[in-house]
Amino acid sequence: MKSLTINNLSKTYFDPYAAKHLTAVHDVSLDVPEGEFVSIVGPSGCGKTTILNMIAGFLPASSGEIIVDGRLVSGPGPDRGVVFQSHALFPWKTVLENVAFGPKMRGVGLKEREAIALDYLALAGLSHAAERYPNELSGGMQQRVGVVRALANEPAVLLMDEPFASVDAQTRMTLQEELTRIWQARRPTILFITHDVPEAVFLANRVVVLSKGRVLEQVEIDLPRPRSWDTMMENETFKQLSARVLQLVRAA
Amino acid sequence: MHSIFIQPVLNFWSGYIRLVTRYPTLGSIFPFIPLLLLWSVVVDAEFFPRSFFPGPADVAKAFYDLSRKGILLAYLEDSVVRLVVGAAAGMFAGVFLGLLVGLNAGFYRALWPILLFFQAIGDIAWLPLLIIWFGFGIKTMTFVIVYTVLFPVVLNTVLGVRSIPLDLHRAAQSLGASRWSILTNVVLPGALPNIMTGLRNGLGYGWRALIAAEMIVGTSGIGFMMFDARRSGSVVEILLGMIILGLLWYAVDALILAPIERATGQRWGMVTQ
Repeated sequence: MKSLTINNLSKTYFDPYAAKHLTAVHDVSLDVPEGEFVSIVGPSGCGKTTILNMIAGFLPASSGEIIVDGRLVSGPGPDRGVVFQSHALFPWKTVLENVAFGPKMRGVGLKEREAIALDYLALAGLSHAAERYPNELSGGMQQRVGVVRALANEPAVLLMDEPFASVDAQTRMTLQEELTRIWQARRPTILFITHDVPEAVFLANRVVVLSKGRVLEQVEIDLPRPRSWDTMMENETFKQLSARVLQLVRAA
Repeated sequence: MHSIFIQPVLNFWSGYIRLVTRYPTLGSIFPFIPLLLLWSVVVDAEFFPRSFFPGPADVAKAFYDLSRKGILLAYLEDSVVRLVVGAAAGMFAGVFLGLLVGLNAGFYRALWPILLFFQAIGDIAWLPLLIIWFGFGIKTMTFVIVYTVLFPVVLNTVLGVRSIPLDLHRAAQSLGASRWSILTNVVLPGALPNIMTGLRNGLGYGWRALIAAEMIVGTSGIGFMMFDARRSGSVVEILLGMIILGLLWYAVDALILAPIERATGQRWGMVTQ
């Protein structure tokens, strides 16, 4: 049961400068069933990254509960893989060592974890870069490694925090297509955070629109797969759904 | 027709650049040749009495004589052993303290101002007190050198630990790393370029402090040799000591520090060359 359930999640901060409590996330409930791809979209400051950080266990929730794979979340753990906007690869480890790091922490032996890492690198077309250091890769390749590193640890849920926001537009489209392909091949449960509406619609089965710390609306994305930008850009349903989500986000 | 005169110069320059690119060591040696020539010329012009201002040949002869007697090597060994032992102690203590202060907000708040305070009290400023406490000898010198190496290492380790992006800690945590694994896989390698900077500064200051301490409280070592030479008015030995200090730093840099830096921070793209 590799699903993610959030019940009445809230987060309030004490702001010492304003001397009052601020609510970043207010009573959010969400369900991501096993093998589903859900995007959360919303303007900056809507609380989407705060939600992800609470699910990842980086921030404690003020109230509510997060259940991953049937267990209550109380801190960071390998059942929730995280892909960061900053790629967060270890500069002092080669690509192979980065991807093998999760299995290494689980106690998998050297030979076996390198085989796992190479398998996942091949999935993202990165076999040739295994022995290189992250600083020797392009931005797009660094993000691919970031995705693959999280996947190689076989988490119950994959949390992605605007992972493609800092790569160029062409590379971003390629990465989005690759992500949908990998998702179809391995069917991980994914929660994807973004402020980019077409990206959210293109990738997900369902888009959650967030506004001022609350869930504004959830939109089912009934689009055929495999998805590619060549066909999606001409697809009427894609255009309508994108327009609808965009309106919600702008009204938010 | 200018090119007839200029072309050979250009050819020479091009050959020089290619040579020192191929053998960087030569690039470090060549600039000293004009300096040595200038020194010889000034000495040979006899502006000053030779015993006051000896030339390169005199220093080379003194080097040969003192080496043959075994004095130079013994003194050099004394100084280098003191530096290595003191620096090793200062480095281990410094990295340990730096990790503690860098990783723990409470320690940081409590110890950082104190560290800055004691860092500002130079090694030599301790000497009057140390001579009263420990007298003239190895204890005083050891204290000075450990103290001098410690602070640059602590301060730079703290800086290094605190400059590791939060996302790297988080990435390691969500990949299942324990606290110990985070220390060895994230914190130490992440702080290593800064630790190396601290070590480089610490060794540089420590080497100078050691020579000064040897002059004042020593009974052996390069610093002692130079100060002792002053009593017998042997300028040539003083110059020899100075040259050895410079050369030894070159050796430490080229043989120890630079290779480590090339294999770590520079390779990882964390520092620019």
